[in-house]
Amino acid sequence: MKRVGVFVCHCGVNIAGTIDVKRVVAEASALAEIAYATDYQYMCSDPGQALLADSVEREQLDAVIVAACSPAMHESTFRKTAARAGLNPYFCEIANIREQDSWVHQTDGDAATRKAVELIRSMVAKITLNEALVPLALPIVKRVLVVGGGIAGMTAALDIANAGYPVVLIERAAQLGGNMARLSNLYLNLQPAANLLGETVHAVLAHPCIEVRTGTTVDELSGYVGNFTITLRSTAADGADSIRAEINAGALVLATGYDLYNKERLSEYGGGRCADVIEGLEFEDMLRPDGPTGGHIIRPSDGATPREVVWIQCAGSRDPQLHKAYCSKVCCMYVAKQATAYKRQHPDGQAYVFYIDIRSQGKGYEEFVQRAMADHSVLYLRGKVSRVYEERGKMIVVGADTLSDRQVEIATDLVVLATATVPANGSDDLARRLRVAMDEHGFFSEAHPKLRPVESITAGIFLAGAAQFPKDIPETIAQASGAAAKVLMLFTQREMVQEPTIAQVDEEICSGCGLCMPTCPYEARTMHAWRPWATVNAALCQGCGACAVACPNKATRVRNFTTRQVLAMVEELL
Amino acid sequence: MNAPSRRALVIGAGIAGIQAALDIANAGHEVVLVERLPSIGGRMAQLSETFPTLDCAQCILTPRTVETGQHPNIRLFPSSEVLAVDGEIGDFRVRILRHATYVDETRCTGCGLCQEKCPTHVYSDFQRGMGPRKAIYTLSPQAVPNKPVIDRQGCRFFQTGKCRICERLCPTGAIDFEQEERIVEERVGAIIVATGFDLYPLSRLGEYGAGEIPDVIDGLAFERLLSASGPTAGKMRRPSDGREPREVVFVQCAGSRDPELHKAYCSKICCMYTTKQAMLYSHKVHGGQAYVFYIDIRAAGKRYEEFVQRAMEKDRVIYLRGKVARIYRDGDRVTVQGVDTLTGRTVTVAADLVVIAPAVVAQPESAALATLLGIDVDGDGFFTERDGNGRPVETSRMGVFLAGVVSGPKDIAETAAHASGAAGKALSWFARWEREAE
Repeated sequence: MKRVGVFVCHCGVNIAGTIDVKRVVAEASALAEIAYATDYQYMCSDPGQALLADSVEREQLDAVIVAACSPAMHESTFRKTAARAGLNPYFCEIANIREQDSWVHQTDGDAATRKAVELIRSMVAKITLNEALVPLALPIVKRVLVVGGGIAGMTAALDIANAGYPVVLIERAAQLGGNMARLSNLYLNLQPAANLLGETVHAVLAHPCIEVRTGTTVDELSGYVGNFTITLRSTAADGADSIRAEINAGALVLATGYDLYNKERLSEYGGGRCADVIEGLEFEDMLRPDGPTGGHIIRPSDGATPREVVWIQCAGSRDPQLHKAYCSKVCCMYVAKQATAYKRQHPDGQAYVFYIDIRSQGKGYEEFVQRAMADHSVLYLRGKVSRVYEERGKMIVVGADTLSDRQVEIATDLVVLATATVPANGSDDLARRLRVAMDEHGFFSEAHPKLRPVESITAGIFLAGAAQFPKDIPETIAQASGAAAKVLMLFTQREMVQEPTIAQVDEEICSGCGLCMPTCPYEARTMHAWRPWATVNAALCQGCGACAVACPNKATRVRNFTTRQVLAMVEELL
Repeated sequence: MNAPSRRALVIGAGIAGIQAALDIANAGHEVVLVERLPSIGGRMAQLSETFPTLDCAQCILTPRTVETGQHPNIRLFPSSEVLAVDGEIGDFRVRILRHATYVDETRCTGCGLCQEKCPTHVYSDFQRGMGPRKAIYTLSPQAVPNKPVIDRQGCRFFQTGKCRICERLCPTGAIDFEQEERIVEERVGAIIVATGFDLYPLSRLGEYGAGEIPDVIDGLAFERLLSASGPTAGKMRRPSDGREPREVVFVQCAGSRDPELHKAYCSKICCMYTTKQAMLYSHKVHGGQAYVFYIDIRAAGKRYEEFVQRAMEKDRVIYLRGKVARIYRDGDRVTVQGVDTLTGRTVTVAADLVVIAPAVVAQPESAALATLLGIDVDGDGFFTERDGNGRPVETSRMGVFLAGVVSGPKDIAETAAHASGAAGKALSWFARWEREAE
């Protein structure tokens, strides 16, 4: 019989405030398999881990169970500790008595205490049937595919290429640059956007490690972190045919950027109805010296110089009833910049900005908006615009000024809508092809909202820029370098380490029925090339167990999570 | 010249420094991680729960601190400071001062007996005054490293020549009153500065009681009250008399967005953490009422806007748009006077507890650190980027990078991305040098 040790964590008051940890230790000690049981204030602390390691040696334990928080938090911590103490790390298991017990049963400490003992008992049943496992080592293809040739994608590509790794950078448009190519100048320094962008494009095109493919999109993806196969589709030079090509890459960076919410959906603001109601990027076009107006701000309907311009912020943002619930983050600043640019060009003109809250959060941002107000006499009105209509050659903007609690009407020559920032058109389709998760608005989901902001939930696929959520240029660039860091971290490994707790097939039992194949969400199950049984692609398998459930004759089992183990655990809980 | 060093120095071991250090260490390079305090984790270790998911800060932080503490590629220097930096990218020579802690870390097992028996209670900066610590102390029970240090100013033996209780009790003889500070030298190829932030002191906010009113506390102090591992074990108790506050007023932009008297800039994080604090307060004190004074609500981030809406609608937090003019003591309550700019009327709230969101400011030592690194700080003490738009993690000195709030206010998510960005720049150089060396 195995000698099992149990370590009950107090997690300060998080566990011990609800669960009687001493009673848990006493009852666990009474179990036949338990050779040693104890408790400690914080098992994850240095002394807690030392307690575990010392006990393994002193009590000659063959397996340890840490009754603590979710295995998502500290399973790897304790497995490493167990390994240091000489155990096979797969003889360390977590009984989750925090998230699944003390936190959800705070009002009934007695029941929570009994449940903790049951959870430990079920884990004892499992661990005695565990096998010693060795992590799998897999080769890594040290090439990255960057999807999107805006400032985010180019920044990530350059950082990775500068480290000497080959980069394939694809862009669906004919040219690099993305939305930034439409911008006039940048807040706060008001330098032309073309300077920073041009420098970056030049560096990308000149880089020996970067292969740029424009007019190219992703068709299909297979494989896994370290070894993806991606089918790309490119438009041929004559524009007639598309060419499919396959590449291998160890990692992907998604930098597909943003689009603006269709202004035609804002018909209450004249969007799509009135020629003189334009969106932020169209105003940028007019500010650009190489733009269609040669850098002159004009009224689109007749080319006249606008004597008044009204900016409407939160057009489609912060409007959960009709449009998008979220804040688009970049509008407050670019509107301040545009209004400043207009006033510089036309000091006698009048600029109005309707806002709900001014969100100038960043170094020097607040001061920039204050200068727009104080030095450039931009008039800020706090309130939502209710409608915009055309009357005798002017646009009439009707809104509420919530500070004076009055209705305001402004006759203006030009209206600029700061429309919501939305995921780039087609990113939902891309997400499906790549099997990456999206949030409720269609932005790619990060692995953790606080501490893993540049990783997607899919291993080996990283996120850069506004494809994850609206971001301005400095934040985008920092995040893109962050995504590059994650790729470099992966590429500097000699090989990839994969958890061995995956599915395996008993070839003597397998009938080759193939039911496992459609069940697998990771495409890890295939038929053997010539023998009559199914196989597991160890690199793709995530150990979810769906195939083991589907298998009619129990030929498939997940290592250390076999049917026998699960039933033994259930037995203890019943 | 020798081959370029593919080691990094990371200054500051808050979440920014930890993130950058782990990214570099996990890529197979050595990191020297220098922290001024006795243990790592920085400001995040003081927080209760995090917006917008309400994940507990310790729960998501400790896997990182533990990994950092045990990482074979990370050399951790707690209670240390960088004294001098010479050389250039690929070949920086760094002098590090390791302060005397009076505890021999090679002998100490972290058993905690010394802390338990130490007779002297002193003010705890980590607890923001919400609870004391001992003169020999660790910052928290989960401290990494978990080796206590002696605070010379607080220690009875150092002040009076009598006591030595810790020395007598220590089972491994780790207490060493003779220990002296040491200087170590390291050669590194890149430097990441991640020294974080401080809060504008309440004493500078005369109109808000200048820090003299016990029940007027700052945001970090409130985090300690909310924290399950804090001095009240997460129970809502106001400092003056331990009563549960029924009415709590949160005051934003205290010292921020105030170019005449204080700081002109927006501190970026207060809107969200105040919302979270008001929400958590409402969850803890049923029937309690939270008020928030704000100028603009700045909820720009994934699920931030929705989070604020939830606080208003579901947790019935009352938001008042306007600046608070005055806060004063009135019997056992605190009166908050402000203007509601939406109605144009003066509002007066009698509160049991007032929580101030003071401006996020640069660490007081940041200007001196910038000087020894040969890089610039702006007028507010934040480190200057090479180009605020195009090169947000680089500085004017090649090979010196910035991570987190050291370059300006950022929340945790933005800090984590920014820190990985700094690590990316260092890794990019290291990989190139490695290739050249082969």
